Amino acid sequence: MENKELLRKRVDELAARVGGNVAEGSDNLVLTVNSQYIIETLEAAKTFDGIPCDFLHDLAGFDAKDHFEVVYQLRSWSGPQKLRIKAIVDRDNPVIDSATRVWGGANFWEREAYDMFGIVFKGHPNLKRIYLWDDFEGFPLRKDYVTEPAEVRNITRVRTDNE
Amino acid sequence: MDVAKEKELREADALANQNIIDKALNWGRGHSFWPVTFGLACCAIEMMSAGGPRFDLSRFGYEVFRASPRHSDVLIVAGTCTRKMAPLLRRIYDQMPEPKWVIAMGSCASGGGPFADSYAMNTGVDNVVPVDVYVPGCPPRPESLIFGLLQLQYKVNHPAKVRLMNHGK
Repeated sequence: MENKELLRKRVDELAARVGGNVAEGSDNLVLTVNSQYIIETLEAAKTFDGIPCDFLHDLAGFDAKDHFEVVYQLRSWSGPQKLRIKAIVDRDNPVIDSATRVWGGANFWEREAYDMFGIVFKGHPNLKRIYLWDDFEGFPLRKDYVTEPAEVRNITRVRTDNE
Repeated sequence: MDVAKEKELREADALANQNIIDKALNWGRGHSFWPVTFGLACCAIEMMSAGGPRFDLSRFGYEVFRASPRHSDVLIVAGTCTRKMAPLLRRIYDQMPEPKWVIAMGSCASGGGPFADSYAMNTGVDNVVPVDVYVPGCPPRPESLIFGLLQLQYKVNHPAKVRLMNHGK
């Protein structure tokens, strides 16, 4: 289809500019970039000429053992185009720019990724835990997380003031 | 306070007060439980279904689900109580006036269920509040919940017999 070829062209141009690589997913294109180029990439994808991917459908963290990834699923209000952008984040220093400047809706998703993987989103307006309680220790969806034994978990937590 | 100790004291208290007036009061209490409207997960759907016309909990006088714990005497823990929720569950229980009872509905509330190994779960709600009746199932059918409530009715009316059944002499 013409639409797909145009998207492929735009993504290839963008990949050449930010040093990413493009792969074919099962039903969409996957653009993998380094974390420092993520805002540039997202802004470019949002304003692709003729085929904008202007709707952030989902955002999630991902633990690939030697590094983390933040996965952005992009769609559009005005067409069937889909694009998946993966940002590679360093495991020892997991910091990435927040996408809330580009899409305000990324707010809660980034808080979830922070909650589960400890990825710090620089520039996020309210980066704190969203599902777990504030004094929970560790990031439970990391591959190296060890669950506390049942004896520790069975102790009823003390309620904090802001709950 | 240690929850197991609390449960023991509560049962001893029920055993100690068994004069004729208490027996009459317990008869009334056992036939008109007022549960708190407190649903945590899918078990709550079964609880609502039990309250609806098909299973009709009101046959037994238990239909008055109160929106405030201060009006209620039974807490049906219907669903998964995570560690985040546990202090809030305890707070609801503490707000209920005496006498009060707890039913752990479903395998999550009884023993953690499929989430027992999760970082976010404690293994059973009996670590948080003293539980009188455990209703197994995932989720239990409304008949099971009604049976659980009838077991609780029996326990309220005959604390000595139930103690004998649970602990021997």
